[in-house]
Amino acid sequence: MKYITTVNDEEFIIEIEHNNQILVNGVRYDIDFQHSPEADALSLLLNHRSFEAVVEERDDVWEVLTKGELYTVKVQDERAYRLAKARGVASDVTGEAQMKSPMPGLIVAVPVSEGQHVEKGDKVIILESMKMENELRAPKAGIVARISVEAGASVEKDQVLAVIVDEEEE
Amino acid sequence: MRILRACHELGISTVAVFSDADRNALHVRYATEAYHIGPSAARDSYLRMDKIIEIAKLSGAEAIHPGYGFLSERAEFAQMCVDNGIVFVGPPPEAIEIMGDKQTARETAVAAGVPIVPGASGETDEELIEAAKTVGFPLLVKASAGGGGKGMRPVYKSADLPDALAAARREAKAAFGDDTVYLERLIENGRHIEIQVLADMHGNVIHLGERECSLQRRHQKVIEESPSFVVDEELRQRMGAIAVAAAKAVDYVSAGTIEFLLDRDKNFYFLEMNTRVQVEHPITELVTGVDIVQEQLRIARGRRLRFNQEDIKMKGWAIECRINAEDPYNNYLPSTGMITVSRLPTGPGVRIDTGVFPGSEITPYYDSMISKLICYGETRGEAILRMRRALEEYRVMGVKTNIPFHQHMMDSHRFLTGQFDTHFVEERFSMSDREAPLVMEAAILATLMAHEQGQKASQIVAPGDRDTSNWKWYSRWERLRK
Repeated sequence: MKYITTVNDEEFIIEIEHNNQILVNGVRYDIDFQHSPEADALSLLLNHRSFEAVVEERDDVWEVLTKGELYTVKVQDERAYRLAKARGVASDVTGEAQMKSPMPGLIVAVPVSEGQHVEKGDKVIILESMKMENELRAPKAGIVARISVEAGASVEKDQVLAVIVDEEEE
Repeated sequence: MRILRACHELGISTVAVFSDADRNALHVRYATEAYHIGPSAARDSYLRMDKIIEIAKLSGAEAIHPGYGFLSERAEFAQMCVDNGIVFVGPPPEAIEIMGDKQTARETAVAAGVPIVPGASGETDEELIEAAKTVGFPLLVKASAGGGGKGMRPVYKSADLPDALAAARREAKAAFGDDTVYLERLIENGRHIEIQVLADMHGNVIHLGERECSLQRRHQKVIEESPSFVVDEELRQRMGAIAVAAAKAVDYVSAGTIEFLLDRDKNFYFLEMNTRVQVEHPITELVTGVDIVQEQLRIARGRRLRFNQEDIKMKGWAIECRINAEDPYNNYLPSTGMITVSRLPTGPGVRIDTGVFPGSEITPYYDSMISKLICYGETRGEAILRMRRALEEYRVMGVKTNIPFHQHMMDSHRFLTGQFDTHFVEERFSMSDREAPLVMEAAILATLMAHEQGQKASQIVAPGDRDTSNWKWYSRWERLRK
């Protein structure tokens, strides 16, 4: 079975041949993969190097926690990968990006306006939550197509606050 | 939790209060008794002094320990306790009052011979602009009632002063309902060094050495260590003696902290006094061997201090990392959600104080700190190596944490060589040069999990396609495999 797995914009082609061997980008590895009796942890011996991790599925991606770092991993089998490519949504960088509230809170300010050009990382929304003001930044460069909140509004978790689209779609 | 443990060690029964959000919190389950106090928002629960006093009376509590945050530095609350015949585990209300207002705190410090950052106060903007000439630039405009960086403005040249005054007054008015501001010389490359003191009701005051708290973000400390890389024994005793004098000046009782700014030439200036036990107190406990919370409880019972200044010897090195639910790779955005996994690091030299466990909700109502990870070593190097090891071991899932930030700091050259000041984290430290080390391994692990899930799903078919239920079928399949 062949998978295309993406972590931090890096793609790996991983082929699972049988239970104790895999190919990663064409390189063969011996593996021993076990759910440890301690239910939440997984143990992987990769060419006898030992790794322990917690792996959870969340919103279509896999979160892998090992040695303090949390990796967000997208795993697609060949078919799903080709379908996604065909639809042009394989990468999050193209198309429309919704900015959702990461937590309930109060909108303090909206330093941009609809129709404005933003660069990736520009401040779009300032949200007060957990006793702190938090800057929500543009996930990509583009045009602010829509702002659905104004300063003073209370918002729920995952509420769409703004939409940013590619320049040429305007 | 920290406080409840100290009480139970001393054989004291405890009463906890909880809001709607905290019914299942650790402190509620651990205490001898627990009482519901109100809705989740702090102002309707943990900040309701009347309700807390009412519960204290109802339960027959003899004393209230205010912890840190919430009501711990409110003179009014300490006074209410006194008026209702309940012991407040902390300083007398008068001391909180004096140290709570920055301006009177400064005046008191000066009177006690404590050096302060050159500054000036004045009623009107004109007076302050005139006074600025003697203070010198760069300077800071600060709110009298301030804290946490609100109402604070750096000014580098006199032309910018009027605008800065207006802005600081607006912020101070909005945040504290009081627009009084004052001026202070801006100390560049300053380090935040604080001295822990203990005082009993009989006039005995000692200090427990210093804590280095320069690593801050948005005026919130993130990493503390004791002792400090830059404080030698001579400076320690000098700062300690001054801190003791400051505490005596307000007839202080209980544990308190005097915060100083230390400049490059080892001059130090009084910043403020925290009239409560602080988040970072464990590092002092580890290097001095004194249980500060237990001492507070003994002092509140009217006991004399068990130590003289000569008994206090600092041994080894301790570092504390505050583990927060926030994403260090995305501008430290707070992360909320339910903790699914919490496996704490253990082993030699590791202490962890936390109230979080699998199933805990990290809510937006309170601050984002989920635990304090403290490591001890014979030397600073050993403490850092332990901290690295403990950070790797620590597993929290469900929310993002700043563990990678701490790992990156423990690897940074500037931290290792002790070269940092209070602006280091915000101005000269970046996560973008961190290479996550196990990208391929993470990819493999996730793929194996996805593969395994896919295999199971293809074995368990939709209901109706098989004559018996999937559960039965699955258990048969499991048995077959044995």
